[in-house]
Amino acid sequence: MNIVVCVKRVPMTQDVDLEIDGSGKEVKKEDLAYVINDWDNYAIEEAVIIKEKTEGTVTAVTVGGEDDEEVLRRALAMGADRAIRIDPGAFILDAFVLSKVLAETIKDLEYDLILTGVQADDDNCGAVGVMLAEHLGISHAAVVTSVEPQGDQAAVRVELEGGMDEVSRISLPALFTVQTGINEPRYVSILGIRKAGKKELRVIGIQDLNIQEEALSPRLIVEEAFLPPKTGGAEILSGDPSAVAEEILRILREKGVNI
Amino acid sequence: MGSPLHPAVETYLGLPGYTYGWAILIIGLALFCYTLQRRWVLIRSGKADPRFSLITKRLRGLFVYGIFQKRQPRYSWAGVIHILIFWGFVVLGLRSLDLVTQGLGLPLLRPLMETGFGPVYNTLKDVFELIVLGTCVWAILRRALIRHSRYEGSHTFEAHFVLGLIAFLMLTDMFYDGSAQVLGAPDGGWLPASHGAAGILWGSGPGFVRGVHAWSYWLHLLTFFFFLNFLPLGKHFHIITALPNVFLRKLTKGAIKPARWDAADLEELDSLGIEGFEDFTWKHILDCFTCTECGRCSDNCPAQSIGRPLSPKMITLKVRDYGYDKVPVFPFRQGKAQDEAPSLIGEVVSHDEIWSCTTCGACEEECPVFIEYIDKMIDMRRHLVESAQNPSSFNKVFMNVEKTGNPFGKPAGKRAEWLKELETIPVKLLKQGDEVDVLYFVDSYGSFDPAAQRIASAVVKGLYKAGIDFGILGPREKDSGHQVRRMGEEGLFQLLMEENMETLESVGFNTIITTDPHAFNTLKKDYPGSLNVLHYTQFFQPLIEQGLLKPGKALKGNDICTYHDPCYLGRHNGVYNAPRRILHSIPGLRLVEMARARDRSFCCGGGDIVLWHEIEQEEMRMAEMRVQMARAAGATVMVTACPFCFIHFEDAIKTGGLEEHIRVVDLMELFISTEEEA
Repeated sequence: MNIVVCVKRVPMTQDVDLEIDGSGKEVKKEDLAYVINDWDNYAIEEAVIIKEKTEGTVTAVTVGGEDDEEVLRRALAMGADRAIRIDPGAFILDAFVLSKVLAETIKDLEYDLILTGVQADDDNCGAVGVMLAEHLGISHAAVVTSVEPQGDQAAVRVELEGGMDEVSRISLPALFTVQTGINEPRYVSILGIRKAGKKELRVIGIQDLNIQEEALSPRLIVEEAFLPPKTGGAEILSGDPSAVAEEILRILREKGVNI
Repeated sequence: MGSPLHPAVETYLGLPGYTYGWAILIIGLALFCYTLQRRWVLIRSGKADPRFSLITKRLRGLFVYGIFQKRQPRYSWAGVIHILIFWGFVVLGLRSLDLVTQGLGLPLLRPLMETGFGPVYNTLKDVFELIVLGTCVWAILRRALIRHSRYEGSHTFEAHFVLGLIAFLMLTDMFYDGSAQVLGAPDGGWLPASHGAAGILWGSGPGFVRGVHAWSYWLHLLTFFFFLNFLPLGKHFHIITALPNVFLRKLTKGAIKPARWDAADLEELDSLGIEGFEDFTWKHILDCFTCTECGRCSDNCPAQSIGRPLSPKMITLKVRDYGYDKVPVFPFRQGKAQDEAPSLIGEVVSHDEIWSCTTCGACEEECPVFIEYIDKMIDMRRHLVESAQNPSSFNKVFMNVEKTGNPFGKPAGKRAEWLKELETIPVKLLKQGDEVDVLYFVDSYGSFDPAAQRIASAVVKGLYKAGIDFGILGPREKDSGHQVRRMGEEGLFQLLMEENMETLESVGFNTIITTDPHAFNTLKKDYPGSLNVLHYTQFFQPLIEQGLLKPGKALKGNDICTYHDPCYLGRHNGVYNAPRRILHSIPGLRLVEMARARDRSFCCGGGDIVLWHEIEQEEMRMAEMRVQMARAAGATVMVTACPFCFIHFEDAIKTGGLEEHIRVVDLMELFISTEEEA
C-alpha cells in the first residue's frame, strides 16, 4: 500500500508568553522553538506501521521553507521512503491554499491512502485534511483512532461526540485525519535523523505546480490578532498546601459543585 | 636410608619418569593454549578500546589493587582469605615451577635452591602451604555454613571444587617433602608443613612411604595441570585475567565512553551501541572473563537492594556465558549455540535490567578486579534508543531537550527567570565577549525546578556575599546533557555539548561552578577542553575557611545532621571532604555518619531515568531506603549537595509521612540560612 503523509512544522507555545508582531495580525515567532505537529507525528507512525504490514511506500509531504525540511527528515528517519517539500515562496497559506497546493502535488503520485493529522497545533483549523480529500475527490474520515487496511478497503474507527465511536469500511483511495493516541510514535534519535539525510527529498516550487492564481488567494483573511484582555475573577491561593486544599473545597462547594 | 630417588628418575612401565613429565607438560599446555585461543577469538571479536595510556598510573594501580589487593578487605573476612590465598599463590608459584621442571629432567631452579635462598624459601613455602591449606578449609566452611546472599547465582560447587583442588595441591606437596624426609632426605631447617606430613608418615613401612613419595609428586603435577586447564572454563579464569584487567582498568571515573572509539563520524555507522556480543569492546569482554562471581557489585547495587530486576554480577555472568556459547571450548556445543541463540538484548539481558541502573557507580567502586558496568549499560541503552526501543516516556523529554534546551519544554527565553526571586542581588547575564571570574552553570533543574531554584538562589547568595565576580549564561545555556547521555541519546548529547562549548568559548571565565554534581561531572569529564569545573562545595569550602564567607548564627535546637554523599560528587569525583568541612564550619551543627557513607553511599534514585520512567518491579523507592538509613543513624536532618537527591528525599519523606521525624536540606541552603538568621 502506498501512503502519502502530510506533515507540518509548528511552533512550541507551551509556557511561552506570546506577543503580537508589528503588523498586528500575527504572533511573533522569531524566538519560538519549532517541532513536528504532534498529530502529524502519529500520522507518520501510522503510515509506517501500515507499510510494515502491507509493504509499499510512504511519502511525506510538507509545504514550507528550508527550515521545515526538518520535519521531513524526521519522517524519513521514522521510516518514510521519500519526502517532498513544496516551497510556497511568498504566498500566504490558509487552509484552502494549503490543501490546494497539497492536492496538486499529490494527485500525480501513486497512492492508496493519505494520512494527515486531525489539526495543526498552531492555528488549530482542522480543515486541511478534509479539504484536501475534496480537492482530490476521494473519500475521507476525520478524527480517526484506528485504521485496519483490508484489501482495497480500510476499516476505520472515528471519534464522535459524547464518547461515541463509529467504525466504517471505506473504499480506497481515501484520506484519514489521524487523532493522537492512535499509536505510540517511535523515537527517532538525532543520529537517526541525520542519517535519514541520505534519503530522497524533492523540492518543488509552488510556481511549478499548475495552479491558477485564483486558487492561490487565501479564503481566510486575518484582520487583527490580539491577546485576550486581562479580566478579573482569578483568585490565587497561597500558603500551606492542606489549607489551600481546604479553601479550594470551600470555593467549589460555594459555587455549587457537588463533592 | 639416603635421599630417595626423584620420582621423575624412576621408571614406570619401562619408561623413565620424565617422559611422563614431558607428556603431562605438553598435553597440559596444548589443551590450555587451545582454550585460551577460543577465549582470544572472543576478545578479538570486540570493538576497539584504547587501554594503554598512562602506563605508570596503570602500573601503580596494578600494584595497589592487583598485588596488594587494596579493595579485598572492604569485605573483611573474605578479603583476608583472598589475600592469604593470593600471596600463597605468589610464593608457591616458584615451587610449582621447580617441581614441573624437575619432572622434565631439567631442574632449572636447583642451582638457585642450593644457594642460601633455598632453605629460606623452603621455610617460607612451608609456612604458606599451611596458611593456604588452613585458609581453604576456612573458606569452604565459610561458604558451607553461611549463605551469603551475594553468592546467589554464583557457581558454588566450582568454588568448593577449586578450594579442594588448592588444598589438595598443598597436601601433595607437603607429603612429597614429608615422605622424602622419612626416606632420609637431609633436614632442610624449619619446615612446619613437611615436618607435619613426615610425622604422619613416621612408622609406616618404607614401601608405603616410597609410594606416597612418588604418588604425591605425580598427583601434584597432574593436579597442577588439571587446575591450569580448569581455570579458563569458569570463574577462576580470574587467576589469569585479573591482573591484566586491573592494569587495563578505566582511568576516567565518571566519564562515559564514546559511542565508538574507532569512528569519528557516528553518522557513518549502521548501528550504535550494543546489540550483539561483538558490539562490546574487547576490554568489556575481558571483564566478563575476569568476574570472580564474588557478588560485591550486586551486594552494593541500590537497584538490587530495592528489588529491581538488576544484578550487575548476573549481567556479567549472562553475557560471559552468551559469549562462551558463541565460541565454545567443546566443539560439540557449537550446534546448540548457533541454532537457537537468544538475542543478547531483550532476552539475555532484559530491557528492565538495562533501565534499572542509576549509574551510581557502587558496583564499580566495589569490584576488586575493576569490572566496568556503566559504560556497558550506556552502550546497551544507545542501542535501544537508536532502534526506538526506549521507554516512550523519554520521547517527549528528548524532544524538549532538543528543541528548548531543557527537559521540561520551557521556553529557552525563560531560563533566567528564577533570578527574579533574588531581587536585590545583581547577576550578570553573560553575553558574547563578557568576562567574569566565575561562570555559574545553573543547568535545567536549577533554572526551572522550584526546589532546585532555591538551591541555585542559595549559591548565588553565597557568591554575592563572598564578593565573587560571577555571571550566568541564562537563555544561552543549554542542558548539560548529563542525563540524555546516560539515557542513551548520544547524538543529542553531542548536539548539546557542541552548542554549550560554543557558548562557553564566547565568554571569558576562570572557573565554572555548578550546583548539580551531574552537571559538574559531565562538564568536567564528558566535555572536551579540560574546563576548570568545581562543584559549589569545592568552591566555597576554602572561601569559608579563609573567612571570606562566614556562617551566621549557631544552629539552635536538637537537630542531628547526616550528610548524604551524592554519587556524582562522591564516588565519581572523590569529593567527600569539602562538604563535610563546610558542615563543620557551621557552629552548633551536630553531624553523624550513616553506615553507608562516602564511597559506599547509597543512591537516592538518580538524576536521569527515574525522573521519567518507572521500573515496575521494585519493593520500595531508593530514596525511601536511604531515608531509613539516615533515621537508623539517628539523624533528624539529611544534608545533601545535589538537587536530585534533595527532590527524591523530600518526596520520600512526604510519601512516608515522616515530616515529623526527619527533613532534608541542601548544604548551601543550610549554610546561607544561618547567615540570614544572623
